[in-house]
Amino acid sequence: MIQIDELRAEKDMKIISLGSHSGIIQSMLDYDFLIGKQQPSIMAIVASGRKQERYFWGQSEVIIPVVSGLEKLTQQQQRACTGFINVQSARRVLSSSKQAFELLPNLKVGSIFAEQTPEFHTLEILKLAKQRNILIVGPSSVGILLPGRFKLGAIGGTQHAQISAANIISPGNCAVVSTSGGIVNELIHTVTSAGLGLSFGLALGGDRFPLTSPADALLLAEADPQTKRIVYFGELGGVDEYEIAKLIEQKKLTKELIVYIAGTVAELFETPPQFGHAKAFAATHDESASAKKDILREAGATVCETFADVASTLALYKNEMREVVSDTIGERHKSLIVSHISGDRHGETSLLGSDLLTTIERQSMASLVLSMLLGVQIDSQRAINFTDYVLRMLVDHGPYVSGAINTIVAARAGKDLVSSLAAGMLTIGPRFGGAINDAADNWLAGVQEEIAARTFTENFAKKGVAIPGIGHKKYRVDLPDPRVQALLQFAGNTNGDRYLMFARSVEHVTTAKKDILILNVDGAIAAIMLDILESELGYGQEQLKELVDIEFFNALFVLSRSIGFTAHYLDQRRHDEGLLRLSPETVRYIE
Amino acid sequence: MPRRKLSEYISKKIVHDALDLPYIGWGIDTTADSLKAIAGFSRYVVKVDQAVKGRFKRGLVVLDVPKMDIAAIVKKYVSEGFEHFIVEPYVSHDSVAERYISISHGRTGLNLSLSKHGGVDIETNPESIVTVAINEATDWDALAQQTLFTVEQLYALVESYKQNHFTFLEINPYIQTDNGILLLDLAIEVDDAGQSFVSSWQNSDIREPKKTTYSQETAVRLLDKGSVASFNLSVINPNGSIFLLLSGGGASVVIADEIYNKGFGKGLANYGEYSGNPQAHEAQKYTSEVLELLLASPAPRKVLFIGGAVANFTDIATTFSGVIAAIDANAKQLAAQHVKIYVRRGGPRQELGLKNIRATLEQYGILGGVYDPLTTIVEALGSALEGLSK
Repeated sequence: MIQIDELRAEKDMKIISLGSHSGIIQSMLDYDFLIGKQQPSIMAIVASGRKQERYFWGQSEVIIPVVSGLEKLTQQQQRACTGFINVQSARRVLSSSKQAFELLPNLKVGSIFAEQTPEFHTLEILKLAKQRNILIVGPSSVGILLPGRFKLGAIGGTQHAQISAANIISPGNCAVVSTSGGIVNELIHTVTSAGLGLSFGLALGGDRFPLTSPADALLLAEADPQTKRIVYFGELGGVDEYEIAKLIEQKKLTKELIVYIAGTVAELFETPPQFGHAKAFAATHDESASAKKDILREAGATVCETFADVASTLALYKNEMREVVSDTIGERHKSLIVSHISGDRHGETSLLGSDLLTTIERQSMASLVLSMLLGVQIDSQRAINFTDYVLRMLVDHGPYVSGAINTIVAARAGKDLVSSLAAGMLTIGPRFGGAINDAADNWLAGVQEEIAARTFTENFAKKGVAIPGIGHKKYRVDLPDPRVQALLQFAGNTNGDRYLMFARSVEHVTTAKKDILILNVDGAIAAIMLDILESELGYGQEQLKELVDIEFFNALFVLSRSIGFTAHYLDQRRHDEGLLRLSPETVRYIE
Repeated sequence: MPRRKLSEYISKKIVHDALDLPYIGWGIDTTADSLKAIAGFSRYVVKVDQAVKGRFKRGLVVLDVPKMDIAAIVKKYVSEGFEHFIVEPYVSHDSVAERYISISHGRTGLNLSLSKHGGVDIETNPESIVTVAINEATDWDALAQQTLFTVEQLYALVESYKQNHFTFLEINPYIQTDNGILLLDLAIEVDDAGQSFVSSWQNSDIREPKKTTYSQETAVRLLDKGSVASFNLSVINPNGSIFLLLSGGGASVVIADEIYNKGFGKGLANYGEYSGNPQAHEAQKYTSEVLELLLASPAPRKVLFIGGAVANFTDIATTFSGVIAAIDANAKQLAAQHVKIYVRRGGPRQELGLKNIRATLEQYGILGGVYDPLTTIVEALGSALEGLSK
């Protein structure tokens, strides 16, 4: 098993939380903050339904990414991860831990929180953990605490005030090992109240087969150069303490051991009950608390008769008092909204990370638009030029299209600018203006799933729907759309234009059927934008899919065309022709 | 993952199925209807099926019974408080032929124990039991020879053990008859955490030994069943003077221990704990049950100790609002009986919870002491015990 000192040498443990437990995660981040870390130790949360979770970082906030499965992390992230905390339900403990072993090659430490994990599942995890050099505690463990390094779990407290008060920021020389999660905090408190410090704390969990057994844990303490003495809390049930006594007798455990074994009260019962923890049931006299206390006392451990003896024993070492480092976190409130785009910083408005003026003065409108739409400052000239070209190209397509008509109708009805513009804008949807996003979605899926253009086309034919980005009313194979031709100047991207190539191969199939089924402006913009985002900005397929899901591609149309609609509104107001009304001959009444 | 005993009837069905042996037997409860299906044999054996050790010696097994007598035997057992029985055809045999086999497991794997001298006295003949580890090196052919089971049956038994989340399986005794192997008595313990992964047994197949139960214990068991939080309560001495309202699996045992170790064991009325962040109304219900026990005790001086370590997740203000509601409802009687209440607790929102409960106890004149984690559990408990001897 990995040694405590090796974990201590890892100054920047990178932890993944399997499942989300906001109380535990927040307390881990509070600890990170209090020990002066620059970055949260938790790199990602594996859970479903969300993309990120927000936590306090001191009095400020940080965003922790959420992924739906460990396989969604990049290989680089998987390699970077050195620890995990498993807060999944008992049903999922085995499957999720197995996956962590498979996908996280550099794991050093782990903790399993769920109660009621089946014994056979624990034993299977134990087998796997032994093949890897991992320190793993639980199930039903509140975790591992290595002062000044990391807090893996609820251990040490869940409230920041509790953590501050516990004096666990700087390390000491006393290890605490406990089968009980509540008691581990009590013991840590006892150690630090005695003016001593904690070298490390392990909550083993009260199950019958803890992944790290009491004997394992004490051997870790023995091998740890920082640890001088050990406080151990055990309970009735099981025979772990016999193994510990044997270790002492064999001189494999030589450090001072201060022990409390709970459960003597069981002697009061005719048939003792199952106490709070799963293991806490003495089937035979050997498993009783008194028998285990006797064997440890004989072996030479300091066995405490009352809990108060733990404190008074530790008080003997007052001369070893250490310097106490402490810090606190003040009042804090969760904000309602987070923004990556802009905000108020020291009373000044900042945009994309710099103050407003600096940001706008150094770039063109197209550069600003692309940066703001993507939520990060973009410097790729090629990407900016393409955006600029697209924004110009989509600005207007005549007063005949539905959005422009609605703007004009509203303007002539005497409505104001915003109402008329909104009338046009609200027309944008699946049949008008929404095709770029749908086309991007399809090209992305086609390339990702390596669908043959023929199959791809047939799939649409089977459903009886048109392919977004394909087809034009007027232009055809022998009369190509000049705008598409113009857009092609932006081909030649470093990814080999794979999205454009896919779109063209689809076009190849469709035009063989009907010559007007050519790649149209929407389809071309979508394909080239995908190619540029991938080649120039390094977007991965997951990120591209996210852009599709949040309608980034439609945003280009909406922005650009809003200029067109505004122009039509102003134009109509200048003409001031009065209400537009359809004449009877434009509407056929069918009785 | 506490280990629990499974009904023998269900156990036999599972094991016979695994070994591909026919099984004839009936699971009987307290309804007369459940007896109707019994038919086809002239003599039967009737056994209490309720996790009782040493059934035979305690007269909870009746051999060689005609069908007409079964109802009366069951009725007699019911009058003694038992609820579950198993009826099987009676097969007379020579006790010398009785064999023993059991499976258990530890950290490193499964163990199989066997003996050619099985039966009710197996515990007095421990030297006849041979134990072998189940692993790659296991000599299955030798085991088959020694046990009379086939290699396939032994495999199936081990597989069934693992698949069904057993923690102990004991067939004692089984015999070889002209019609093949007959499993006479069979006991299985299961890991109750495995329940959601198996279809062969469910929670209702788990048997508890009969014991005197108090209505408050039953009420708490029901509360526990219907909640995501956990609750348990055991009455030790209904005439006791020290009543406990504890939280946390570890801390509750420490507190009960302290009382016992300091020589106050005789006065200890109950053990129990709640954990897992119960809702206020659940905490109220639990407190009411403990208070009911307390108020019923004839002890002249009584204290209630509400305690726990520093909670990781349980919201102290919320749970204490339930505790306070129960105290409110019983305040008059508590004051009339001069009960003193001591509190020591920490955790999320402890300041508010402790402030509120102090105000309540003061208002009714039943305040013993209220402590936060700066006072150790032991010190707080010490003042409660002192309060008792005042």
